[in-house]
Amino acid sequence: MKFRKKLFRTKDPFDTHSTDRIFLEAVRENCAYQMEHCQKYRTILEKLQFSPDMLMQYQDLDKLPFLPTVLFKKHRLFSCPEWKMPIKATSSGTQGRKSRIGLDFGSLLCGLRMVIKIARWRGLLSLRPTHYIILGYKPHKGNDMAVTKTAFGSTFFTPALSRSYALQYENGEYKPDLEMIMDKIQKFAEGSVPVRFMGFPSYTYFLLKKMEERGLRVSLPQHSKIMLGGGWKQFYAEKVDKQTLYTLIKKTLDVDEENIIEFFGAAEHPILYCDCPNHHFHVPAYSRIIIRNVHTLAPVSNGTAGLVNLITPMVKATPILSVMTDDLGVLHDGETCGCGLTSPYLEIIGRVGLRDIKTCAAGAEELLSKVEDEI
Amino acid sequence: MIVANGMVYDSSQQEMILSTLETRINETRMKAQLDPEIVISAFDTLSRSIGNDDFPEFSERIHTLHADDAIEHALRMFRRDCLEYKIKAELGSRFFMPKLTGPPLGFPRVQIDPRPLGTLLHIAAGNMDILPAYSVAEGLLTGNINILKLPSVDNGITVALFELLLTIEPRLRDYVYIFDTPSDDIAAIRRMAAVADGIAVWGGEEAVSAVRRFAPTGCRLIEWGHRLGFAYISGYENKEQELTELAEHIMLTKQLLCSSCQVIYLDTSNMDEVADFCKTFLPYLERAAEKYPVEDVGAVAEMTLRRYSDMLECTLNPTKNMDGQVFQGKHCSLTASFDSELELSYMYGNCIVKRLPEEQMMNCLRRSKGYLQTAGLITTASRRERLTELLIRCGVNRVMRAGSMSDAFLGEAHDGEYALRRYTRIVNVAL
Repeated sequence: MKFRKKLFRTKDPFDTHSTDRIFLEAVRENCAYQMEHCQKYRTILEKLQFSPDMLMQYQDLDKLPFLPTVLFKKHRLFSCPEWKMPIKATSSGTQGRKSRIGLDFGSLLCGLRMVIKIARWRGLLSLRPTHYIILGYKPHKGNDMAVTKTAFGSTFFTPALSRSYALQYENGEYKPDLEMIMDKIQKFAEGSVPVRFMGFPSYTYFLLKKMEERGLRVSLPQHSKIMLGGGWKQFYAEKVDKQTLYTLIKKTLDVDEENIIEFFGAAEHPILYCDCPNHHFHVPAYSRIIIRNVHTLAPVSNGTAGLVNLITPMVKATPILSVMTDDLGVLHDGETCGCGLTSPYLEIIGRVGLRDIKTCAAGAEELLSKVEDEI
Repeated sequence: MIVANGMVYDSSQQEMILSTLETRINETRMKAQLDPEIVISAFDTLSRSIGNDDFPEFSERIHTLHADDAIEHALRMFRRDCLEYKIKAELGSRFFMPKLTGPPLGFPRVQIDPRPLGTLLHIAAGNMDILPAYSVAEGLLTGNINILKLPSVDNGITVALFELLLTIEPRLRDYVYIFDTPSDDIAAIRRMAAVADGIAVWGGEEAVSAVRRFAPTGCRLIEWGHRLGFAYISGYENKEQELTELAEHIMLTKQLLCSSCQVIYLDTSNMDEVADFCKTFLPYLERAAEKYPVEDVGAVAEMTLRRYSDMLECTLNPTKNMDGQVFQGKHCSLTASFDSELELSYMYGNCIVKRLPEEQMMNCLRRSKGYLQTAGLITTASRRERLTELLIRCGVNRVMRAGSMSDAFLGEAHDGEYALRRYTRIVNVAL
């Protein structure tokens, strides 16, 4: 995996231009590896009459077969023995089904380089001790969810003085304890140690709304930051307008917009997407995005909405090099953002779905349950 | 939003209303029986007033919901002559008038006294905007008290419509209860079911079997389950016109209705003919797709993704042979499938084409007996009568022309039954 190593050593974490060649090499290398080590992946590629040699130039990237995330929910797709995977992550399991993704040691090292570079770029790394408030799950050995790991990981950007979790594990299940969190917030606000929030935007909104209702307003110490993230789905499922959330944060915690940082990522694409100061998610050098036509799955140009296909050669243990999410998104030209980054940025505009579907021909849920039975 | 006794409440009031539901309903039932004439006259006034634009606020609201067509259609169905015709077709004339039996061999005579079933719970589906309201209208016409659980995709039309109706005719206020309870709030739905004498459930197998589980013993279940429509082609009268109509029907209904065409059957056992048909028909479908484009991007994306995933699934699981040749058109597709089973397509202009020689029809269609409803028959004039008869014997309840598969007509039975009959009971009284 020499090309992968090279790619993740790229100096500028948002250089998607001069890394094209190396990215393609790394994908080809990964694809060949997966094909050799994962029987199911090989079967799929053979069926689609694809072989890694067909990745001759960067433009060929869109020919690489993509696996829909639902496939990882139904099949165990691994390319190395499970004992070789120090971490097995699962997606948060919207609709009750979780993807099982294995991460090998090499990919964790790559991931670490990536996180450090991106966190440094966004000014998140600091030696100043910090109190962490995690509006998410307290880690527990039975909890493999990628969001839990990411949230825990994010408390290492600075030395952590304390970590308080909104979701406590008690008697075999997670229970929210917002009262305790609100007490802590008030206590921390009186001190001088910065506080960092990390959690789902929806939980953050819910908590702050509660504070607002009770008339609780604090002023968090200087250098405090609000980090939002954890699963793409929660992002738009909540339907809270970003600006509304920012205003609420300013009102209840007195934290300015420039100190609000959003992340997203998915178990099936463990690349850290971190927003720029204009709150846009630029594509980092370690990832590429192809937006695909909703009818034909053919690539579309920037500015056109479609299905979001994410590509990264980061992981060896699971063939997630090209995955198709069930998100609908638009890729915008990087220059239009104005933050200085030139890599394109992704806007998620919704999710595929039959939510508004009006069908009486046997419902979608039946089709799904039929499929599930075959696992 | 909840409607109870003519008042509109916030959803949060559900508990309060449910706790007094039985008492309220019992009081109403003690008082008198609803006269169908009151119902007919109220719906007729409603229909005319909206038609005359007497309620501009309502019209505006309907317009913003893009539901003009559905409302326009309903308005016609709610007119006095239509409702009277419906009652006559389904129940015969003077249905609610008591009659006397005249049995042979000296058996005693008794009075026959048709009555409303009592209280109906309607669990509505969301496939047509007007369907929940129409279901309740059927319950009212037969004199029942109606509890309606709205579908999750309801866009507010139903409540708006009944607000108007109950303003026009306050005597109906105690006969309509509407709840926007989510489908997973089984406890609440169970409480509604507890006071019902009949449950009319619209929806998929899951909804129907869930209702079967919680329906009180002795409660009549009226199941309007999902159905799968198909077209059957055995020769043409006017090929160009018939294929155009079929294609437009597919794109116009987006294959979302029970009566929409999911599978096109060809009267052949030759797979080459299936492929040839796909090549011939695809341009028709493309033209129709251009004329009636699908605007719901999320749904199209879901179906495209599902088709792709199913294809991969088949690759990994070769025991399940779903292979077929896909003919991809612009914003539509045809799949030539090897088997002959009636199945759900990917909808939105993605139709399946299969072989079904006439002699196999019974064997094949009987396997889908729970799903049969509409067949769109395209054939020669000389074969039409015989094939129509054959389709009926296989269990099909509506044999239509391909272009009119989803047309509703007055006096129509629904899935082989008259709804109004299911909402009534026959009482006998000794003289």
